[in-house]
Amino acid sequence: MPVDQKFSAIRKGLLEYLVLRIVSGTTVYVPDILKRLADTEFATQEGTLYPLLSKLRREELVDYSWQESDSGPPRKYYRLTPTGQSYLAELDAYWALINTTISSLGS
Amino acid sequence: MQKVITVSLNGNAYQLDEDAYTRLSRYLDQSAAALANNPDKAEIVADLEQAIGEKCARFLNAHKTVVTGAELHQIIAEMGPVDGDPGPAAADPKTTAGFGASTGAGAADATGAAGAAGVAGGPPPFVSRRLYQISDGAVLSGVCNGLAAYFAVDVTLVRAIFIALFLVTGGVALLGYVVLMFVVPYASTSEEHAAARGLPFNARALVERAKQKYSQYQNGEWRGARDEWRKEWRRMRAEWRFERRRMRTEWRTHWRFGRGSAAPGAPFGAGGATAAGGVRPAPVSYITHVIIGTLLAVLGIVSAILTIGWLLVLMSLILTGAVMGWTLPHGIPFWAALVVLVVLYSCFAWPIRALRHAAYASVGSYHGAWVEAWNGIIACAVVVTVLWFGFHHETEVRELFNQFVHWWNSVIGGNLGDWT
Repeated sequence: MPVDQKFSAIRKGLLEYLVLRIVSGTTVYVPDILKRLADTEFATQEGTLYPLLSKLRREELVDYSWQESDSGPPRKYYRLTPTGQSYLAELDAYWALINTTISSLGS
Repeated sequence: MQKVITVSLNGNAYQLDEDAYTRLSRYLDQSAAALANNPDKAEIVADLEQAIGEKCARFLNAHKTVVTGAELHQIIAEMGPVDGDPGPAAADPKTTAGFGASTGAGAADATGAAGAAGVAGGPPPFVSRRLYQISDGAVLSGVCNGLAAYFAVDVTLVRAIFIALFLVTGGVALLGYVVLMFVVPYASTSEEHAAARGLPFNARALVERAKQKYSQYQNGEWRGARDEWRKEWRRMRAEWRFERRRMRTEWRTHWRFGRGSAAPGAPFGAGGATAAGGVRPAPVSYITHVIIGTLLAVLGIVSAILTIGWLLVLMSLILTGAVMGWTLPHGIPFWAALVVLVVLYSCFAWPIRALRHAAYASVGSYHGAWVEAWNGIIACAVVVTVLWFGFHHETEVRELFNQFVHWWNSVIGGNLGDWT
């Protein structure tokens, strides 16, 4: 089994965490999120990202605002809510814990 | 020759050939089916439509207005399959496979589509020309720019004509400019920019259209088209109703949380109510823009006249104790009449103000601010002109003014001097 397939479920599970991290900086437009992820192992598509963002919004972790665009209809710009910020801090801590565990195992 | 189908992707029109149309409707149907249990289904589908629209724009320019099947195939490959309900049922292996496969498939399709796009020329596009304001490279508001695009002449020429007209007519042309500013909508999408410039009206396009109409007639399609049109009209009316309701709630939150938060860009914290509702500012049609522009100008003048009338009544009440010659009935004190006047004024002024704010909200934040500023200037101008005219031509108004001055001098003790 190729390595990338071995971790496909983990990558999928991590996507939410990564999106929260990307959104935590400045406000971002969906194509920007896709571009940030495109060159990584986590490259994804609109078909996956839009449902994920709508789920995160229902959970009140992210929110969006409309911004006018010069070249088309208004665009949704996403950013982290205060709830999302504290949740992301927890996720960061837990991820650090996992990393320590992994590196502490083995020689 | 290929038949072209015009579709609306989240409120913007795109022209697709038949193959592209079939592919797109299949993809959107599949997406809707995958999201069947998702409470945000409509919003996600709208997001997907907008994303597809933006990807389509990449393939379109002034000389190519139709999206081909191959291009749409590439777009859909980039979009990827829509993840189903993120609940327990979502753990199907199909979606997980999307990760590795997607980029590879996209690249393969890109080469295929590039080859196909070279061959598919498409029929000559026919774009009906419409007058828009174009803000790119505008000096004031973009009216001249839009006129230049409409008549396909240099913008400098239009500006020169406007300035000449302004000088010759002694400023009346400026009024014309302001009216156009209100009434003519802005071109914001590439589709509207194309329509603002139009394409040369050539005989071939005309014949093509006539042919298309004739074949539709022969196939009895016109009946279907009529029903389609009726359906569309009903849908538009429903949209209008929805839009009115949305604007009402929107300007309410807008005014409650202060003017800094412009209408369509719902603020993150304060505008939570709007954002939570998941409503987006639906792009309004050309004719709606025209109606709103006219409405704004008319409402501005009406409210200015209302204010003047109210001020005159108020002044006559304060100065003579009677409302325009009509004395107060016995037993009604002066202050009660004042309160009644204020209440009456708000009863009339409030709905007008509400309408105006609703109209601003639908025009959009940036242009809304412009419209609002001009509206204020127009209202001030009307007030000043009417007062000036009244002062110079109506003796009653001048007397009222003088009485006011006397009253001011006696009550406040100031010295405003004699105005006559």
